[in-house]
Amino acid sequence: MSAVNSLVPARFLTLTAHLVIVITIFWSRDNNVRACLPLDFSQEEYNSQDTQLVVALSVTLGLFFIELMGFFSGVSMFNSSQSLLSLAAHCSASVCLSFFVFQQWECWTYWFVFAFCSALPAVVEILLFIAVFGLKKKPL
Amino acid sequence: MAFYEVYAHPALLRYRTTVCTKATLFVVAVLCVTYTAPLLVAYRSHGFWLKRSSYEEQPRVRFQYQLLLIAATSTNGDYVAWSTFSNFNSLQGNNLRIPSVSAREEDQNQDGKLDRLNLQLELPLRPEEQIYSVQLLVTFSYQLFRMSTVVMQSLLLLQYSSSVPGSQLFISGDLRLHQREPLLHRGLDTRYNVSLINANSPFSSSYDLAQIIEMYQERNLTTVLSSPNPVWTIGRAAAAPFQLKAVIRYPVEVISYQPGFWEMVKFAWVQYVSVLLIFLWVFQRVQTFVFQNQVLPTVSVPLLKQHCA
Repeated sequence: MSAVNSLVPARFLTLTAHLVIVITIFWSRDNNVRACLPLDFSQEEYNSQDTQLVVALSVTLGLFFIELMGFFSGVSMFNSSQSLLSLAAHCSASVCLSFFVFQQWECWTYWFVFAFCSALPAVVEILLFIAVFGLKKKPL
Repeated sequence: MAFYEVYAHPALLRYRTTVCTKATLFVVAVLCVTYTAPLLVAYRSHGFWLKRSSYEEQPRVRFQYQLLLIAATSTNGDYVAWSTFSNFNSLQGNNLRIPSVSAREEDQNQDGKLDRLNLQLELPLRPEEQIYSVQLLVTFSYQLFRMSTVVMQSLLLLQYSSSVPGSQLFISGDLRLHQREPLLHRGLDTRYNVSLINANSPFSSSYDLAQIIEMYQERNLTTVLSSPNPVWTIGRAAAAPFQLKAVIRYPVEVISYQPGFWEMVKFAWVQYVSVLLIFLWVFQRVQTFVFQNQVLPTVSVPLLKQHCA
């Protein structure tokens, strides 16, 4: 398929971009945590919001690991539907998360980005894993 | 020979599929994103719904020829007073002092709307009397026509006090509108078309300046004198009257109003469509790539009719 020549590197690029920005948020999450707290907040409130964001970012990194495993092992590299879904999800995640950092969006917006752009491709990846290794279907 | 292209028009490549396929899901998702993302972008960058706008108009102001003057003639609390209300004058008793008043309104640019008021007041005084402070209440009728029609009675309080007795007070300023809430975009607004001083009342409390100003300030639309620049000239000759000269201009006013439904929708539509064009172009390229390269399986309709042999 001629599309494969452009889909696979495009998917890799968007995956990497999303990964880079998640790691960036790990290091610069102070501004975003402050944005979701009221003007006068206590240290415990700050710590609890910070912990929530750290948990979300860590789970995102875990789901990244699952998806990269599926991609590099060839399970989903040539599956055009999963490629398209992963491409769209990670591209929109990169855009939304760069807005998240620059416009200092509140913490709860991260959960939306997580649900649609990290969890969804990872779930489909797991289904593909089960289909290939469990049900012995061909990975294409 | 045919060496240049005279005309070209596109031929459509069509792709068909059934309802329950990945291609349909993809197209539905793309349509949702194409038509909701511009709304989000336009709304989150603020200013989507126009809630307040402004327009310029020179109001139609007329001096109502109602005045109330109170001047303090000593530092012990003696005063003289006069007004155009006969009930107020009869309440003053010995404190009544009738000045000579001349008022003239001018339309300098001949556009049918008056542009300034020249008011001159000469208050006769005994040789031993001195003026220490002056309070003058001037009433106007104020009308606006361009958007909503506003008709109201308004007033100005010109006051000045000094520890040095004076011979002349000159006040010059602009009559400006002070609004606490935006006006409507259409309709008739006559809620303030009520005279502020009750001319028929025989009670002195109706002419109390503090009460008049307090009730006036409760309104959401008032007029104020901006940059009054009062000039107090001292050194009155013994037989000369006290002169009060006021020049009040009626300039063009910037009025804020609440836009109507169609104006709001017009600006929202402009913002939405300009962002929608970008998303339409981007997703048209994405869909062309997906269907031309058969990333999601569809049946492509052949361009030329195939004849069954």
